[in-house]
Amino acid sequence: MALTIDVVKGDVHVTLVLNGDVDTKTAPDLLGHLTSLELHALEQLRLDLIEVDFVSSAGLRAIVFAKQKMPHSSRLYLIGPSSEIVETITKTGLAQAVVIVESEAEI
Amino acid sequence: MDLERIDNIPTDTIAGFRVRPGKPLPFGVSSVPGGLNFSVYTSAGTACTLVLFSRSESAPLGEIKVPDHYRIGDVYSIVVYDLDYEDLEYGFKIDGPFDPVQGHRFNPDNILMDPYARVMSGRDEWGVEPDWSKPYQYRSRVAFDDFDWEGDTPLEINDADLVIYELHVRSFTKSDSSGVKFKGTYAGIAEKIPYLKSLGVNAVELMPIFEFDEFENSRTHPDTGEKLFNYWGYSTVAFFAPKAGFAATGKFGMQVDEFKQLVKKLHQEGIEIILDVVFNHTAEGNERGPSISFKGLDNKIYYMLTPEGYYFNFSGTGNTLNCNNPVVRNLVLDCLRYWASEYHIDGFRFDLASILGRDPWGAPLSNPPLLEALAFDPILSSCKLIAEAWDAGGLYQVGTFPAFGRWSEWNGKYRDTARRYLKGDSDQVGEMAQRVQGSPDLYQWNGRSPATSINFITCHDGFTLADLVSFNEKHNEANGENNCDGGDDNHSWNCGAEGWTEDEGIKALRTRQSMNALSMLLTSRGTPMLLMGDEFGRSQHGNNNAYCLDSPISWVDWTLLTSNKLLFDYTQALVNFRHQHPCLRINRFDHPGSSHLPSCSFHGTSPWQVDWSAESRQLAWLMSCDKPDSKLMDAVYVATNTAHYATWFDLPSLPQGYGWHLCFNTGDASTPHHAPTTPYNEHGILVGERSVVIFSASPSET
Repeated sequence: MALTIDVVKGDVHVTLVLNGDVDTKTAPDLLGHLTSLELHALEQLRLDLIEVDFVSSAGLRAIVFAKQKMPHSSRLYLIGPSSEIVETITKTGLAQAVVIVESEAEI
Repeated sequence: MDLERIDNIPTDTIAGFRVRPGKPLPFGVSSVPGGLNFSVYTSAGTACTLVLFSRSESAPLGEIKVPDHYRIGDVYSIVVYDLDYEDLEYGFKIDGPFDPVQGHRFNPDNILMDPYARVMSGRDEWGVEPDWSKPYQYRSRVAFDDFDWEGDTPLEINDADLVIYELHVRSFTKSDSSGVKFKGTYAGIAEKIPYLKSLGVNAVELMPIFEFDEFENSRTHPDTGEKLFNYWGYSTVAFFAPKAGFAATGKFGMQVDEFKQLVKKLHQEGIEIILDVVFNHTAEGNERGPSISFKGLDNKIYYMLTPEGYYFNFSGTGNTLNCNNPVVRNLVLDCLRYWASEYHIDGFRFDLASILGRDPWGAPLSNPPLLEALAFDPILSSCKLIAEAWDAGGLYQVGTFPAFGRWSEWNGKYRDTARRYLKGDSDQVGEMAQRVQGSPDLYQWNGRSPATSINFITCHDGFTLADLVSFNEKHNEANGENNCDGGDDNHSWNCGAEGWTEDEGIKALRTRQSMNALSMLLTSRGTPMLLMGDEFGRSQHGNNNAYCLDSPISWVDWTLLTSNKLLFDYTQALVNFRHQHPCLRINRFDHPGSSHLPSCSFHGTSPWQVDWSAESRQLAWLMSCDKPDSKLMDAVYVATNTAHYATWFDLPSLPQGYGWHLCFNTGDASTPHHAPTTPYNEHGILVGERSVVIFSASPSET
């Protein structure tokens, strides 16, 4: 399934709204968007996953890769990931890089 | 400016795929910019075709015949560009002679799994009936091997300081009573790490987690209709791949990450991880078995074959890996190096390890190259190497296993002696005295140390501890083999009734015998190993060979942690006691002892005198050393009475300034252990029938 990515820039944060699946085919798109954001200076990144059904290994790695490029004190929020995505990143240890919230209002 | 490599441009197009000659190393599949490098070796094969699939499809995406000029020596390697490596499954077709008498079983139509596959698909979810119509059952896949270890490294705990806990990944948490979310998986074990930490064990030994097929030889119980599986997994399909069916994320192909996460979490809590590895045979069986990988790649090299081309069977399972052939030796080395470096594994326990010391014709070698290579390998230098020092072909090498100063051994003599002593057999006192010192009679002669001896009373083979004290006979009817399987020499005693009983006296005796066993095990020098669930009385209802049972018989029943809390608390206290007392963990046979007492001395009902006669049922041992970084002495006195009557023991005198504290007394049913805060002022103690007492020495209060 194709992936669309909308970028919304806020005062202190950037939100990427994703729609579709993040897998080997689409992870490079996500990575491209992420690396164009000057991550090294970004204090807060939000990924809206409400409309995302599936994130594969490649997709999760793109997210972790992004966090590694950000300042140590920064936060990477995953908004509204499905329970399956939450469980997968928890079981595989990829959750330590992110903060999971159900909605943007919680941030 | 990052320069592009000049050797990364496709040079050919084969079957619609852009390709170029690959690099022989590393074997298996590896990433190169824009593509994947595939490498496989076959000494007798004459042609190689790489077969590519999209995940789970029956028909291949394509078949790429590797040009002969891409071959270097016996290795075919090729780079293929533009592949979706998360979706990819691959295999090889190897052409060559079919001449079984000469040892060759090539079949150019058969798709073979990459022996170096780091991920395997085909059994992604445990117990899901496979599609047997698929032409290629066990499929090689590409692994994401990047992982954030957060600075993790192997723990390198001293051998003598280990308390090992053997467990089966699925059994450990499959039961609903486990209370974990990810039942029966690596993630499930991770959820139980706080429990393991509270118990005090600092190493877990996982029964096989290399990919195996639970449906191998699966059958239905002739009477109950229950499905029986290859449950324990001593039949490896893919040596470099963690079993997907043990991963909660296996269906997504993320078992590598999940398993690494488990290792990292265990290490963070100070717990090592040892893998039970099976290099004595493979899942391919004999000439009637399937051709999964080795048989079709290089049958003559990988297997020990008779002159007629049949399979030697020193493993009892159909075939025997030819471990001292240089090619196979390299595979074993590559495999273990991979797990040690990629997965930070702390040690390996080798199933039927005596096979690893046989030559290609089955004869035992005095200096087996494989065992030597493993002992001196630089990457494995800090790994524990533990041998199950026997095989199914008649070799029994406990005490004589070619150790090269490195290997430790499952000490079957400890198991048998402890069991026989525990149940009060005659003529065991002398043997027991050897075992509690770390078995110098077995290991001192060739310069080994007490930690060479992995001391155990129970393991996956045989009764659980609760069943050891509840059954005289095995009861393996659930296995569907008319109770003919499993060992008969269990050295067990049911305490007066076979199996379940309402007799409170028998139940109390069984609890006491369990505590006695654990007391002896955890105060012996050497490296103790516990079987999962023994600390709270796990039972398999008398089944001593539950290899095929994916059922509550095998699964740990965690409700016993509550109902047998007394036993758990006792075990926990014993493990902690062992960690607190260095004199129990001395790792030299020639240790000088403390400033006041010898390193290890034996006593009977009178100090410094032992009745070594065949009818003696009393033995005490006193261990002592100077505490590290201290002028204080550490001393532990253990008195065991396996007679059916209480017996008075006079306590050995301690040096001026020290007094005894009673720490454990299995004869005290209500309070078998307590903190050693109160000095024990008597000159002796009445040790109850079939009981053990344990004292520690502390500076006297002035």
